[in-house]
Amino acid sequence: MIAQQLLNGLIVGGVYALFAIGFTLVFGIHQILNLAHGAVFMVGAFVALYSVLAGLPLWLGFALGVLAGGLLSVVIEFVAFRRLRKQGEEEFGAIISAIGANLIIITLAQKISDTQILRFPFETFPVVIYEWMGLRVSALQLVMAFFAAALVLFITSYLSRTAPGRQVRATAGNERAAILSGVNPNFVFFQTFFMSGALAAAAGVMVGLAFNNIHFMMGEPFLLRGFVVIILGGLGSIPGALVAGLLLGMIQTLSVAYLPSGLTDTIIFSLLFLILLVRPHGLLGKPEAGLMRGR
Amino acid sequence: MMIDFFIAYRPLFDVFLLHTGYALGQYVVLRSGTFSIANAGLSAIGAYMAASLTLKLGLPVLLSIVLGTVASIMISMLLAWPLARLRGVYQAIATLAFVQVVLSLNIYAESITGGAMGLSGIPKAVGTWTLLGSAAVAVYLVASLNGSRIGRAFDAIRQDEAVAVSLGVAISRYQLLAFALSGALAGYFGTLEAFHVYSLEPNQFGFPFLVAALSYVVLGGRQSVWGPVVGTAVLVALPELSRPLAEYRMLVYGLLLILVINFMPRGIVDTWIDSRKGRRRVLSSVKQEEAKA
Repeated sequence: MIAQQLLNGLIVGGVYALFAIGFTLVFGIHQILNLAHGAVFMVGAFVALYSVLAGLPLWLGFALGVLAGGLLSVVIEFVAFRRLRKQGEEEFGAIISAIGANLIIITLAQKISDTQILRFPFETFPVVIYEWMGLRVSALQLVMAFFAAALVLFITSYLSRTAPGRQVRATAGNERAAILSGVNPNFVFFQTFFMSGALAAAAGVMVGLAFNNIHFMMGEPFLLRGFVVIILGGLGSIPGALVAGLLLGMIQTLSVAYLPSGLTDTIIFSLLFLILLVRPHGLLGKPEAGLMRGR
Repeated sequence: MMIDFFIAYRPLFDVFLLHTGYALGQYVVLRSGTFSIANAGLSAIGAYMAASLTLKLGLPVLLSIVLGTVASIMISMLLAWPLARLRGVYQAIATLAFVQVVLSLNIYAESITGGAMGLSGIPKAVGTWTLLGSAAVAVYLVASLNGSRIGRAFDAIRQDEAVAVSLGVAISRYQLLAFALSGALAGYFGTLEAFHVYSLEPNQFGFPFLVAALSYVVLGGRQSVWGPVVGTAVLVALPELSRPLAEYRMLVYGLLLILVINFMPRGIVDTWIDSRKGRRRVLSSVKQEEAKA
């Protein structure tokens, strides 16, 4: 029983990690807390759903959703953050601007979906359940776990092993020095925001398929849990977000299974508050992070 | 004619007065250099405390309002201590967590708060005049604070903490004061809302609440006390101007936030005050030039 709960938690946690890695990537490199990340997640699910409803195969819907998420994220950077970055107003200004972008996207999605809850047609993804040593896993869960792992692996190796990835990391380390050595910062912004948005949208499509409950507000609980993941993992740390995402998934399923229902959110957000109190740099972040200056 | 106008827009005017109080509560913490968005949770504590004291224990309304406000002040001051250790976005995230904890406990503690359904049948004891008086007192209080030594200390802390410390400003004490005042405003206006609208519902004090409070301050301006007042007036009145504006209210909010923070980052009131000061300075320097010539 507990093994089954842990397995379920691990798979949910994979999706949290996928969502939070893009969130923490943008913060780690640009010090921007992109509060519109949940809206990008929702748009990914919407695009995939409408593609499937229009008769396209699911894999194409998934690809279109991911592409749309990446492009939307790039547009958000251009419209909401670029000017602020030049004024050095990243922190307060970017949060306000991101809240604005979030409101615009959510309102448009609400109008498009007519405030309805949308669902993928029955058996869009075939329901197949495997049993192995008393554990039950659906084919969809396996595919989700596979995609989450593959995407995380792809992003980390892109950042650490390719030339454009190194440029991104150089910008994260010292933006001025990176520019002086010939890195084009706008291209770096394009890459990080595209990757971040694509990951969020991929998580969105998976959650849409798994819970089949797609609506314009679906991003909000993920955004709020995203905060827990990126703080627990250490703000800006990708391996941290991965570990913390998996941990949060397990904490959540265990809490739903064994503690009074309805207290899950209280536990998760008290945990977030507590981490900020005792260890603001999280599990794998830089120690000075929590005491960062500036407003 | 005048009377008709007043009756038609009275509910809107009430909302404006209540939200002015919320905006001022948010303004005070931001002014002291703390990026706290805890006010949604503090207002929820004030509102629910007051409403349930009167509904469940039968306490008189005035006593409930006082107790609700005191509870909110105490929680706010408790928050100040851990937040003093954090900076910037970390403060924002910590206070967001606080708001979520209050929200989820509100839904969980069904016997006290009515759970997801909320509380209803609260006596309506607060009318437009009480709201008007409260908002006026709040503006007066905050304005006189701004003009005092405390307001100048807030400015010093916000602009440069290191300099403020070196000038002998006791940062943590001033921020504790800001939290107490902000908790008082958030909690007190929360209790007023409870006794004004008959019913409370937990999600009323969630994410949209804190976005609204932040928007009022950002749009109006973070320096002058009139900033949050004007910001609230504009954002409350705007959807009433035309139907499409009301239908796409949130979209208009979003557009305004992006435009203002990008192109008028100091907000309507502060930008206006600055431009007037600037013009006066130009005029006086022109006069000096003329006098020399």
